[in-house]
Amino acid sequence: MTVALGVAGTAAVIVGLQPSGGPPQPPISALASTPSLTSALTSGTARDAVGLSAKFLSRSRPVGIAIASIGVDAQTLVTLGKQADGSLQVPTDFGKAGWYTDGPTPGQFGPAVIVGHVDSTNGPGIFYKLGALRPGATVSVVRADGSTARFIVDMVARYPKDRFPTNTVYGDTTQRAELRLITCGGGFDTKSGHYLDNVVAFAHLL
Amino acid sequence: MRRSMRLAPLVLALPLALPFIGAGTAYADGSASANLTPVVVNGSTGSGTAMVTVTGNTIEFTLAASGLAAGPHAAHIHFGASARHECPALSDEKDGDGRLSTTEGGPAYGAVVVSLTKSGDTSPTSGLAVDRFGSGPSIQYMRGGVTVAPEIATAIQKGQAVVVVHGVSYTGAKAQAKSDLNPALPASATDPAICGVLSASPSGGAATGAGGTAPTQNEGLLALGGVGLLAAAGTGAFAARRARS
Repeated sequence: MTVALGVAGTAAVIVGLQPSGGPPQPPISALASTPSLTSALTSGTARDAVGLSAKFLSRSRPVGIAIASIGVDAQTLVTLGKQADGSLQVPTDFGKAGWYTDGPTPGQFGPAVIVGHVDSTNGPGIFYKLGALRPGATVSVVRADGSTARFIVDMVARYPKDRFPTNTVYGDTTQRAELRLITCGGGFDTKSGHYLDNVVAFAHLL
Repeated sequence: MRRSMRLAPLVLALPLALPFIGAGTAYADGSASANLTPVVVNGSTGSGTAMVTVTGNTIEFTLAASGLAAGPHAAHIHFGASARHECPALSDEKDGDGRLSTTEGGPAYGAVVVSLTKSGDTSPTSGLAVDRFGSGPSIQYMRGGVTVAPEIATAIQKGQAVVVVHGVSYTGAKAQAKSDLNPALPASATDPAICGVLSASPSGGAATGAGGTAPTQNEGLLALGGVGLLAAAGTGAFAARRARS
């Protein structure tokens, strides 16, 4: 599809353009801003450790998620692992969000990941409005131990799936308890049956 | 604590062979993380996260855990080519003494291959250098520039390396037990407390939409391209025309 090809070389920040009738998109399209893994780690000389003082919670599985500003109030979460090809599993139910179990639980140190569909074949999915989430919004995750982990959104961005910033989303880049919310965005490739981009919200524990 | 800090670094004498014969598949740089949860039988109520970023044969690691016993917490990356690449199960507690020693966990997680120390040496030689690990109920530190063997970098990416944090609190008879690694130490100082298998980050994006609400193709192109579109060769005219539709 030429539609898909036309997007491939793009490295632009797109502001304020919305498809008519489609899911909301974040104002930031971070198409070319994937940080390199090779920063300063290749010296081969072990530096002394840096002590950290992040706030984090003990381990407890997430059982629900509420995001008032975009109308999400899920009383259940499914569990997700990796598929055989190493990619992230996604919920089979378009109306349910899922938690990636190989990552930390929301509130623990590191980036916890919760994923939901933007739509099904015939209507909105649970994270339809994720692209409308804005920095400063609150995300509440209810945990099995009865506690609620509250997160503040720092950034909502869109990335092409073929250049997905794996380390930025899943890696240890922030040294604190964080949350990632992932859904689809951008154009839809009717040939492959998939959206071209992912929308990712980044949040940190209050 | 004073007592244990005088100890010279000791090699952890695990029964499993270390060598990993033949270079593994070269894996791309990447990140992995482990959920640290209590080791069976030993009674820890701690939990935590270990994260490793692999760049060639150099790693950066972060260790963050809470709910641990008082005292020092030796912490390592374990690996064994013939190990099960997992945390110990109840069936690994072979001698029936009601605690799982570091040695008993060997078939599950293999030998120490990296000591997650805060300073100095990071080889297995520093496995019990308790004055260079975290201490107390909550530990939190990160360290970069740690060189590992190529097969270890590969094992981390393949989900075959296991992070173990040692040091528990025992009462009764178990509190009198001596360490299997160094009889001068109590077993509580070296028995594994929390453990987790390092799992590589998922690759690529997530397939989280079926297109039921997607704008028509032309509208989608408009939204994506906008003023910033550097249209691929041969599609420019198409894009420009459609953008006005």
